Amino acid sequence: MLKMQHISKVFRTDLVATHALRDFCLEVAEGEFISVTGPSGSGKTTFLNIAGLLETFDQGQYFLDDEDISHLSDNARSRLRNEKIGFIFQSFNLIPDLNLFDNVDVPLRYRKMPASERKQRIETSLETVCLASRSKHLPSQLSGGQQQRVAIARALAGQPRFLLADEPTGNLDSAMAASVLDLLKEINAAGTTIIMVTHDPVLAEQTDRQIYVRDGQISNIASTGQLAEARLVSGA
Amino acid sequence: MRDLGPILRAMLRNKTGAILIAIQIAVTMTIIVNAVFIIQQRNELMARESGLDEANSFYLTSVGFADDYNPQNTTQEDLLALRALPGVVDAIQTNAVPMSGSGWSMGLQTQPGEEFDGTGVAVYMVDEHGLNTLDVELIAGRNFNQQEIRWREPAARTWPDVIIITRDMAEALFPESAIEEVVGKTVYINDDQPINIIGIIDKLQAPWVGWGSVERAMLSPEQTLFNSANYLIRTKPGQRNSLMPQIEEMLANSNKGRIIRDLTTIEDTRERSYRRHSAMIKILLIVVLTLTLVTAAGIVGLSSFTVNKRRKQIGTRRALGATKGDILRYFMLENLLISSMGIALGLALTLGLNMVLVNNFEMQRLDWYYLPFGMAVLWLLGQLAVLGPASRAAAIPPAVATRSV
Repeated sequence: MLKMQHISKVFRTDLVATHALRDFCLEVAEGEFISVTGPSGSGKTTFLNIAGLLETFDQGQYFLDDEDISHLSDNARSRLRNEKIGFIFQSFNLIPDLNLFDNVDVPLRYRKMPASERKQRIETSLETVCLASRSKHLPSQLSGGQQQRVAIARALAGQPRFLLADEPTGNLDSAMAASVLDLLKEINAAGTTIIMVTHDPVLAEQTDRQIYVRDGQISNIASTGQLAEARLVSGA
Repeated sequence: MRDLGPILRAMLRNKTGAILIAIQIAVTMTIIVNAVFIIQQRNELMARESGLDEANSFYLTSVGFADDYNPQNTTQEDLLALRALPGVVDAIQTNAVPMSGSGWSMGLQTQPGEEFDGTGVAVYMVDEHGLNTLDVELIAGRNFNQQEIRWREPAARTWPDVIIITRDMAEALFPESAIEEVVGKTVYINDDQPINIIGIIDKLQAPWVGWGSVERAMLSPEQTLFNSANYLIRTKPGQRNSLMPQIEEMLANSNKGRIIRDLTTIEDTRERSYRRHSAMIKILLIVVLTLTLVTAAGIVGLSSFTVNKRRKQIGTRRALGATKGDILRYFMLENLLISSMGIALGLALTLGLNMVLVNNFEMQRLDWYYLPFGMAVLWLLGQLAVLGPASRAAAIPPAVATRSV
């Protein structure tokens, strides 16, 4: 469903050109749960931004559900983001002045969906993350883990083809992180493709496939089985 | 309009900035609408026609000082000389000049007796050349003839037997009669002295531009025997300026027993009479312009602050599917809501201020169409002011959503 071929992205200033991604190739199949790890500045976030159509790229091709998005207009990219991609951000990115119901409603409003359908989807999403009873609360009245659950509900409400999670547990303690990861696993089990950028190797290990990015390129791809095997060998 | 509900709810949680801008808009609307109304009224006042051929007329004062100064001979000789000058259309001696601020007024009444109130009227003493010199149109009746013109002594209390009045005065005296029917009617001056109306002219303003009945005037067929007399001179188009010094010199030389002074064009008289109004209009325009700019700056400031404060939020909205147009519309709509609150308050304040002005300064009641005009101006001002910050907001890239700072 997601296919990147020889993607390059260079950030230029007057003095330097930084190659954030070089000749980056990746295919993600429907229903996969993959993690993207790597050191700071390796190009993880640039990959996530390009995958989520938040940023353009300089070279290569990117197919989303077989549609070449290389030459789409800004409006078309916005529409595609809204319809096919759900985002989960490290700092939740909830709108502080809106209650949970209105926060989850944000992407649905841009889809020009009837109010009754929006209401039904918002309620279902908030139930999925066990926060339906707090729909009138403001984000500031929730814990960090609960806020991330709201962000997940917001992503789910649009029934996206895949979820992009940027360090979804980065701002949470371990118990909350585990709970959020369990939720993501449930969502993946229900059929949603998930790409998760993370620093945490323990978290990465719990996904189907781990992609290691270094210097803007994929330096290693491993399945969960392979990683476990490698650790056993190393332990021996 | 799909963002209306969330914008309102978000605004209710962050009221201070919005309320301050709404109040500023309300005050601006109150002052702008009333100021524009006053400006419009003053402009209408200033645009009123005097009835004269203003561009080609001027007047001067002849003041006799010599012991043997003879006002009658001087007037006759002066008028003969003036009317014979090439370029002069006509000339009269008159006791007053429209818009000059100085003149006579009397009361005319339709029934004799002290118990009846007179209708105030400005008096212009002219001869049979009056109509031509003043450039007024006789719409009913006839002009004076030479035999009807009398000489008025300084202490005289009686009045001629005939007069010509303006249409406005005719309508004030005989509101039920057609203009033509007023000719031949008798009115009374000094309570019981009868005067016959022999003619009606279209328009002639009184000397006092601030008088509410400025178009009520009468022409009395007489010339004054005072040492001081005004001559009103009408020239052919384009010859006024060259004739003014020529006439001044001619009159000064023709009789050494008097001086010629106060040579003034009607255009200057108009400008001087309405100078207070002009100054008021300029001050109000500056106030309107300043307030408009201050309000626009306030909206730009608040919007820019809001946009900077919400960069991450805007990036998130973009990431979640908002187009640049959606972001632009969001901020425009938010401003529209704030403006609407300000305008609603402004409507009440505008009417309140107008009532205060009506009650305390004898101003007219505001015409209804000034309110939608004010609303439209403030809405437009708000939308234009927010356009820049909203465009900057729309240009925020969606990738801002994933940035940690």
